[in-house]
Amino acid sequence: MPETQHPIFSSYQKDNRFYDEIFDQEGNVKEMYKTLFDLYSGHSVQDFAKLNDKAKASFFNQGITFQVYGEQEIKEKIFPFDLFPRIIAPEEWEHIERGVLQRSKALNLFLWDLYHDKKIIKQGIVPLDLISSSVNFLDQMNGIDPPGGIYNHISGTDLIKHSDGNYYVLEDNIRCPSGVSYVICNRTALKRALFGVFNHYQAHTVTDYGENLLQILESVKPNGVDEPNCVVITPGVYNSAYYEHSYLAKSMGVELVEGRDIFVEHDFVYMKTISGPQKVDVIYRRIDDLFLDPLEFKPDSSLGVPGLFSAYKKGNVCLVNAPGTGVADDKAIYTYMPEIIKYYLDEEPILNNVHTYHCSRPDELKYVLENIDKLVIKPVDEAGGYGISIGNKLTKEEIEKVKVTIQAHPRKYIAQPIMSLSVHATYIEETNSFEPRHVDLRTFTLLGKDKEFVLKGGLTRVALQRGNLIVNSSQGGGSKDTWVLK
Amino acid sequence: MLARVANNLFWMGRYIERAEHIARYLNVNYFSSLDAPNEQSQSRQLVLRSMLCMADDTVPENVELNEEEVLYDIALNTDKSFSIINCVKIARENANSARDLISTELYESINKFYHYVLNYDVDYFKNKGLYDFTVNVTEFTAILRGKIRGTLLHDKVYAIIMLGINIERSTQIVRIIHAKFLDAKKAKGNGEQFKQSSEWTTLLKCVESYDMNRRHYRQPPTKLTTLEFLILNPFCPRSVMNSINQVANHINTLSTDKYPAKDSAAYLIGKTQAEYKFKSIESIEGEVADFIEEMLDCLWLMAQKIEKEYFNY
Repeated sequence: MPETQHPIFSSYQKDNRFYDEIFDQEGNVKEMYKTLFDLYSGHSVQDFAKLNDKAKASFFNQGITFQVYGEQEIKEKIFPFDLFPRIIAPEEWEHIERGVLQRSKALNLFLWDLYHDKKIIKQGIVPLDLISSSVNFLDQMNGIDPPGGIYNHISGTDLIKHSDGNYYVLEDNIRCPSGVSYVICNRTALKRALFGVFNHYQAHTVTDYGENLLQILESVKPNGVDEPNCVVITPGVYNSAYYEHSYLAKSMGVELVEGRDIFVEHDFVYMKTISGPQKVDVIYRRIDDLFLDPLEFKPDSSLGVPGLFSAYKKGNVCLVNAPGTGVADDKAIYTYMPEIIKYYLDEEPILNNVHTYHCSRPDELKYVLENIDKLVIKPVDEAGGYGISIGNKLTKEEIEKVKVTIQAHPRKYIAQPIMSLSVHATYIEETNSFEPRHVDLRTFTLLGKDKEFVLKGGLTRVALQRGNLIVNSSQGGGSKDTWVLK
Repeated sequence: MLARVANNLFWMGRYIERAEHIARYLNVNYFSSLDAPNEQSQSRQLVLRSMLCMADDTVPENVELNEEEVLYDIALNTDKSFSIINCVKIARENANSARDLISTELYESINKFYHYVLNYDVDYFKNKGLYDFTVNVTEFTAILRGKIRGTLLHDKVYAIIMLGINIERSTQIVRIIHAKFLDAKKAKGNGEQFKQSSEWTTLLKCVESYDMNRRHYRQPPTKLTTLEFLILNPFCPRSVMNSINQVANHINTLSTDKYPAKDSAAYLIGKTQAEYKFKSIESIEGEVADFIEEMLDCLWLMAQKIEKEYFNY
């Protein structure tokens, strides 16, 4: 490291195997971070530890927590927040924004096609068995025209920056992507703790998400409705993302309902208010497809609303995101994204895909089984970082176990080369110093009828354990405020 | 507003208020008994039983009470449904499920309150924390009332919370009157001494009304002035009359009927308000015990009717 290294960063061990967001190959601070670096260097390690404690207490007092389900108990935890923000340059963001919008639009057209003419399958671009074997494909959605023609109103796209300095999409989340509330909370927390730093940078606001989301919801109102009544439906207070559900409802000024607050009569949806039933037109649902309506899907679901799907089919209510979107964010479908984009938009993909091996293909399965130590193995239909195996972290016995699991259900798994997620300077409590940690970026894209919006920011998730590549909160990950510069 | 959420807000208000009254009752009774003017009032068993009876309806007679156990049970024992810690937990749970409707500031204060109580050191409480804990609980509730008043729109959400707070307040005031009435009897028996008992001062302090009472009557509290003040005085913010006036005011935000139906909550509340307005303490004085029971029944019925009409989801 150069001699000019400041004390607060003095134990920062740069590792040239990874793309460092702050330091260049020679260990010099990159131009964009110089002012920030100097400002942070003005704090002693002790000061910083205090600021960090205050930020944590602030999250805890505000009840910005999530619940982790252990074997015996549910724990309320703070989503760890790092006070050193990530900065994204305007031109870099412009590329990301165009790229995630392109993917969201292509996925929407893909979903329309899958549930209508299935041209992309008939033309052999996406194999039929990939769709027919997907547990997330809903036969009930065949032929249904969702209001406004939109399926994936809200998309969360996970990106990483590889050692080559380019962004790659790791996955598209178009069921119920979560995390946007933390984007806003992180900004608030950073402002409270270190407001001075904002004077030196022109960052885009992230607080306009709620108003844009409401406009998107209102844009897909059912036909014949002038002023739609929009609600957010949550599984309830014990859901790990309940804070986010309540935040979204509050930021839009709409009701947060549970299944038991809603009923369907003559294919119209009503909520039970203190003044009697009130019609509901648009539901931003944070309940998984199969729990939405016990009459149509899981009969034992107590989270959903009997008759809801029938009301949806009749066009009397709009569900956001549409049921059945999960088929398109399946990690096996992900590998076809370049073809999907080309097919529907006649464009080249703006953002890179990570090369993916399908275990359902015999030759690729063979490669995967022979090279597990060089690959990340992912179940195609799991979220939250669950079920992921990182080859170079496994013992021989574990590799053998993974092999058996994959061979038992090859369709259920894909494999990707171990990508070198970029690293960012992150405050580590245990060592009371800044250390490089791997980060990714989740962006949030909204699609409505004649309206689109990408939140200028996003959730930078950090894997807090040294060398760890899994950034999900349920796996001990934290997050950073993310500044998109004007 | 969703009926379920309205129910949660109503109970959030009730449990915040309940926690406050139990905490103050614990504080005032315990500390005033330490140098009470007569042996009976200083009796540990009398004080402990009084505190336990106020919080819990099911205290067995003729059982020797253990001081440490009683204080712990009322304050921090999560196995006791009446404990302060459980009141705060339930208040926070109710706030959680109405989180989108209440202000960020109010939620944050409830959450801080919850963490304060949850993390209170039990050993410290048992040895020397009684004053600190109970005073802080009452201060947290005062902050919450301020946040409720100052950070929420004064609309239906506010009205529902205030209905909960005021119904609980009047219920707790009546329960406290009841408990202290029995204490005064035990301490002094009947006659003049009973009427002048120090328990009336304690009673007023238990509901933060001693200074107001002195200012109003300009004489030491007696049975008559204390009961009149706490039941019928509309200007005392802790009186039953004042709470009922507020309940009547807030029910009108929910019910727009000019002539409410005879079986409605608004009707019962209006009728009770009118009855109390024209009641004199002399008409109650001879039959306080019966009147206390009547008041509790009436408040219970009000809550039942509100729940049936507005929260029946």
